[in-house]
Amino acid sequence: MVNLIEMSNISKSFGGNLAVDRVSLELLPGSVHALMGENGAGKSTLMKILAGVHQPDRGSIRKDGLEIAFASPGEALESGISTVFQELSLLANLTIAENMFLGREPVTRFGTVDYRRMNAETRNALGELGLTLDPETLVSELSIAERQFVEIAHGIKADASIFILDEPTAALNAADVEVLNRHIRRLRDEGKAVVYISHRMDEIFAICDAVTVLKDGKLIGTRPLSEMTPASLIAMMVGRELQDLFPPREKAAGDEILSVENFRIDTASKAFSLHVSKGEIVALAGLEGQGQQKFLRALVGQFQPFGGTVTIKGKGLSLPVGQEGGIRQLQAAGVGFVPEDRKEEGLFLGLPVEHNIAIGLHARARELSVAKGHRNTVADVMASMNVKADGPSAIVGSLSGGNQQKVLLGRYLAADMDILLIEEPTRGVDIGAKSEIYGLLRDFANKGGAVLVLSRETIELIGLCDRIYVIHDNTVVSEMPAASATEHDILDAALSA
Amino acid sequence: MAAALNNAVVQRVTRIPPAYFVFAILMIILWIARPHMLNANILGIFIRQVAPLGVLVLGQLLVMRVKSIDLSGGGVILLVNYFISSGLFPGASVAFFVALALATGTLIGLFNGVMVAKRRVSAVIVTLAVSIILVGFVQFLSSGKPPGDVPSVFNDIYNTKLGPVPTPVIFWVFLTAIMALFLSKTVFGRYVTSVGENAEAAHFAGVPVERTVILAHMIAGFIAAIAALVQTASIAVGSVRVGLDLPILAVAATILGGVVFGRGEGGVWGPFFGVLSFALLFVVMTTFGIDEPGKLIAQGLIILLAAIFYGVRTARSN
Repeated sequence: MVNLIEMSNISKSFGGNLAVDRVSLELLPGSVHALMGENGAGKSTLMKILAGVHQPDRGSIRKDGLEIAFASPGEALESGISTVFQELSLLANLTIAENMFLGREPVTRFGTVDYRRMNAETRNALGELGLTLDPETLVSELSIAERQFVEIAHGIKADASIFILDEPTAALNAADVEVLNRHIRRLRDEGKAVVYISHRMDEIFAICDAVTVLKDGKLIGTRPLSEMTPASLIAMMVGRELQDLFPPREKAAGDEILSVENFRIDTASKAFSLHVSKGEIVALAGLEGQGQQKFLRALVGQFQPFGGTVTIKGKGLSLPVGQEGGIRQLQAAGVGFVPEDRKEEGLFLGLPVEHNIAIGLHARARELSVAKGHRNTVADVMASMNVKADGPSAIVGSLSGGNQQKVLLGRYLAADMDILLIEEPTRGVDIGAKSEIYGLLRDFANKGGAVLVLSRETIELIGLCDRIYVIHDNTVVSEMPAASATEHDILDAALSA
Repeated sequence: MAAALNNAVVQRVTRIPPAYFVFAILMIILWIARPHMLNANILGIFIRQVAPLGVLVLGQLLVMRVKSIDLSGGGVILLVNYFISSGLFPGASVAFFVALALATGTLIGLFNGVMVAKRRVSAVIVTLAVSIILVGFVQFLSSGKPPGDVPSVFNDIYNTKLGPVPTPVIFWVFLTAIMALFLSKTVFGRYVTSVGENAEAAHFAGVPVERTVILAHMIAGFIAAIAALVQTASIAVGSVRVGLDLPILAVAATILGGVVFGRGEGGVWGPFFGVLSFALLFVVMTTFGIDEPGKLIAQGLIILLAAIFYGVRTARSN
């Protein structure tokens, strides 16, 4: 079969930093090609070169055997290369149709914008993705997942032959991912080439035909996925085996520290109970958006549950927890909540590492008291967590994702909590830092702490945790020891409930 | 390399609050054109005039650092002035008036804070409305006529000096130092920084966000009452329009001093020099024989320049 695209020996550096180093990539028509690697491995840069956003320093790109060079994304689009980038780029105060036709609005004979045509074409494009959204809806009224679909419709509707999807599913739940996968398969069956960038193993194996792995800007290899397993793919990405990623489990769990009885997330959901003991890391697993997050947030007052009893260290917690004071109330009881969205809810990106860590300690002091320096605590946390920064006064926003995540966790470790409730402990973090974070959480548990964690990455939960509660339809449907659990078991438990 | 170094220097320079540049430039103009004006007695009198503004700025910079604003200072000043000058409390002592003023200011601040933090009403609208209500209230009580006189002891204190420096100026510097210490040394100062940077993250870190905003407004109200006392002492009579332009000047001086919404890089001394710049501006304008309209235009231009300066800087840091 003839290659649709052949990128050979592409190099690109930014400043003195070689982002892509002599990488070659071939795309076949009628195939879905996964591009994998840790953050900063060069995936996005390579795809931005193909999409005309960046120009390569060296190397050549051929399309259908002819050498091509794009000076701008517009030129790439005209050559049939269509891209959905991971940053959401829709304007919230415009309608869906206005966004889709931004900068190339059709006009009527009188020179006014042809809204009728715009809306009709948008409705068709959305319809092809199985969406029944009104094209005149403002983007600000859409959910994140819907916005992602509009973005995808925006990228896909152009009559292109090559589609680049850069983490298109980051904001989608399982059902939406399935819709998206159907469309990717349709594109494949039509003979298009699709490049698919994602960190989620299950998706890669569900829809991709081949995988190319990058590491530190270099090509590690390209393999057909039929020859690969998730473990061998991770090994290829990190250069070591999967089991080395996770710290060993300790055997004995201590006394029960958190107990939840007859908990009901909403009026229609079934009551459930769960327990966490000292020294344990417990997972809330299952398909996305099945109530794991609502439950954790209900414990700190960010969601109003229907009812139940919660006991922390033998003391009852009266439900519902207050929205404004809940976080502080739980912190006073020794429970730290680590939010998923580290940029919006977690960190003060414009402030130093020092402030980001010490604020957890300050939060427990009286307002009008003198603020302690906490210099030693901050230094200890940074050292023990191996935070790479130019000292405690470095601005957090300038650190890498992994180091930012460590600073966020460090805040709660420094505040000396007994229980940590963690959403997505390693979101957007590369594999090296993931492994370190797993180690830190296990240390915390070994010292008598308890962790309740949820994550979209089931493999992470299996490797990290001691016990797994499978959540489906706002209730616990199964409980299993993590050591012997598989992704299949969890999915099975969720779906057969 | 040279470009990068240049850029680093430029960045460092743009991080200095514009108030310092304006202050320096005005000093140089004065030094060249009217060196005899650079005299502690003369400058002291001009700087004493802006002491009420300088005090009011301390509250303004606090609320602006938690991404709020307080435009109610004009109303507070007028109300306090009315309490003291109307003869409503015949024979009351200075201590009584001070206590009454501070309680009034704090209470108004509390109301502003609760509205902004709990009811999520726009700070501009709430505090402006409060100011309008207070102004109307005072004008109603006084039937639109200026009330009576201020007990002479206020003006007597106002006119004292410590060496060559007027007492109100010393008092202002002293309050500024207290505020600087308060923000840099207390846990509350950390909360203010956190809420200004990211209120959502502050909440998840365990910072009592609502309480911080309310407390900031209460302190701003308390400080507005102090400014009202200084202002009343300075004019020594009752008035129905005194101090109405002060809140907006306070916002301007705060911005000029490098404190913008949510960011406090100018600290407390940046806005302090912002106020000093306004004082010097009056001196320079007066010595060049420029009248009130000219002063207003110059004031507006400086504020505009400060805003452009921030626009340029923000664009670069993005």
